[in-house]
This record gives sequence, structure tokens and C-alpha cells, in this order.
Amino acid sequence: MTSSVTASLPRPSPFHLLLAFGSGGLLTLMVDFNGLVGLYATPFYSSWVAHGTGIVAALAFLALLRLRPEAGAGGAKPAAPLWAYLGGVSGALTVILTSTAVNSPLALSGTLALGLAGQVVFSLAADRWGLLGMPVRIPLLRDFAALALIAAGSVIIIFGRGA
Amino acid sequence: MIEAILIATLAGVLVSLSRQINGRLAVSTTPLVASFWNHVVGFAVLTAIGLVIGALWPAGAFSAPWYAYLGGTIGVIFVASGSWLIARIGAINTAMLVIGGQMVFGVALDLVRGAEGHVLASALGVALIIAGAALTQRRR
Repeated sequence: MTSSVTASLPRPSPFHLLLAFGSGGLLTLMVDFNGLVGLYATPFYSSWVAHGTGIVAALAFLALLRLRPEAGAGGAKPAAPLWAYLGGVSGALTVILTSTAVNSPLALSGTLALGLAGQVVFSLAADRWGLLGMPVRIPLLRDFAALALIAAGSVIIIFGRGA
Repeated sequence: MIEAILIATLAGVLVSLSRQINGRLAVSTTPLVASFWNHVVGFAVLTAIGLVIGALWPAGAFSAPWYAYLGGTIGVIFVASGSWLIARIGAINTAMLVIGGQMVFGVALDLVRGAEGHVLASALGVALIIAGAALTQRRR
């Protein structure tokens, strides 16, 4: 194993792992809550309301941290390109695509499993080539083993529940 | 069916694309600012689409239990944490660990609610996810 390759690939620390797992737990809760609003109204409305209330919540959090949105870029940080503000477009479209797929023969299980596949393919490419201005990270055999274990476990859970 | 498969896969691609872009904005600002703009732009896009298709104010808009409307607030923390993580541990590590956490908490939520499902399959799945997550860790 060459040191230059491993050096370009910082591994997660226990703190990173706990934060990511906790973030995934929040996602479970969020999908559940948004799904409930979608059940009473529509999935589209649910996403619209979640984005709207999210703006208010983000402003409240920023105020708590005494940071205004404009005051974010300070000191030595590189300026953000204009496209970096467009992450929300992709997020908004996701809801529409997902609710379409869930209502197809794929159902929830198939939609989740294929969504997982889409995330894996894009994320591997994003790391390999450092897409959209992020650092290049060449995955090693160990990373693929971790990926395979987590993906296999997730697919077993997804279809075990759906059955 | 092919169409549905492409749509579901594209939805996954968009999840990661969004995190990659928000991660880039967080590098220049802060993760919370990136999350703020994610919600502003997403809200603008959905409002425009909703006005065109007339879907902004459906019946039952306010009928869900009050806590269900906290989904957006949780989403702000979710986007901010993802934007912070992706610059530090990369896209694939962030994606897999978040998915792993989502699955494990999903199984826990099912257990609490006593939902139907294969308990053995869920237990095996959780074990594989924990093994995979352990494998991502730094060597001592």
C-alpha cells in the first residue's frame, strides 16, 4: 500500500461516524414526519412546507449562533461560485422523483434500494474525480469492502421490512 | 418499468449531487449557511412548480399532527451536518455512514412501534452495517 494514496484519503474518526449515524437517524425521523404531512395532504405539499419551515428554522439557528448569512464568508475562505447556491434545486427535484417512483411497481423498497445505488455510483465518481470543487479521494479496497457491507445490510433491511 | 428504475436511481444521484454542491458552499461559508441557501432555493423552485401545477394548497394542508411539521427543522440540521462531513471524510464515506444510520434508526423505530417485518433479516442487516461502519474507521 503506497503512502501517497492513503494520505489522500483521510478516514472517518469515531466522531465523524457518530455524527453521520446521528444524521442518518435524523433523516429517518424527517422522512417519517414529512411522510405524515404527505399522507394528510400531498408529498409535494409536504416538501414545500418542509423547505419553507426550514428557512425559518435555519434563520433561527443562524441568529442563535449570531451569524448572518452574508457574514459567513470571512477571512481566508475561497469565494463560492454561483452554482454552489443551487444545491437546493437538486434537493427539491428529489422529492418529486421519489414520490413518482414509490407509486410505480418498484414500491418503497425498490425505490429505496435504487436510490441507494444512485448515491453509491455518484459518490464514488465524485470522490474519484473531485467533482464540483471537492477534494479527490481515491477509494481503496478497504473502502469498497465497507461499502459492500453497508449496502448489503441496507438492502437486507429494506426488503426484509417491505415483505 | 425501465422508466421507474431510471427515476428512482436518478433520485439517489440527486441526493448525492445536492450534498456535493452544498458541501462546496459550506467550504466557502459555513454548513448552516449552506443549509439555509439549500432551503431558500429549494423553496423557490417548489413554489414555482407548485404555482404552475396548482399544488401549493391541497385539502388537508393543516390536518397532520403538529409535530409532523418539524420535518423541515430536522432537515436543516441534516443538510448542515452532511455539508460539514462531506468536506472532511468524502462523498462515499458520508453517503454510506448516513445511510447506515438511517437504516439502524429505522429498524429501532420499527421495534418501538412494533411494526411487522423480519426481525432476523433486520438484525443481520444491522450487524453488516456496523461491521462496514467499523471498517471505515482510522487505524490506530
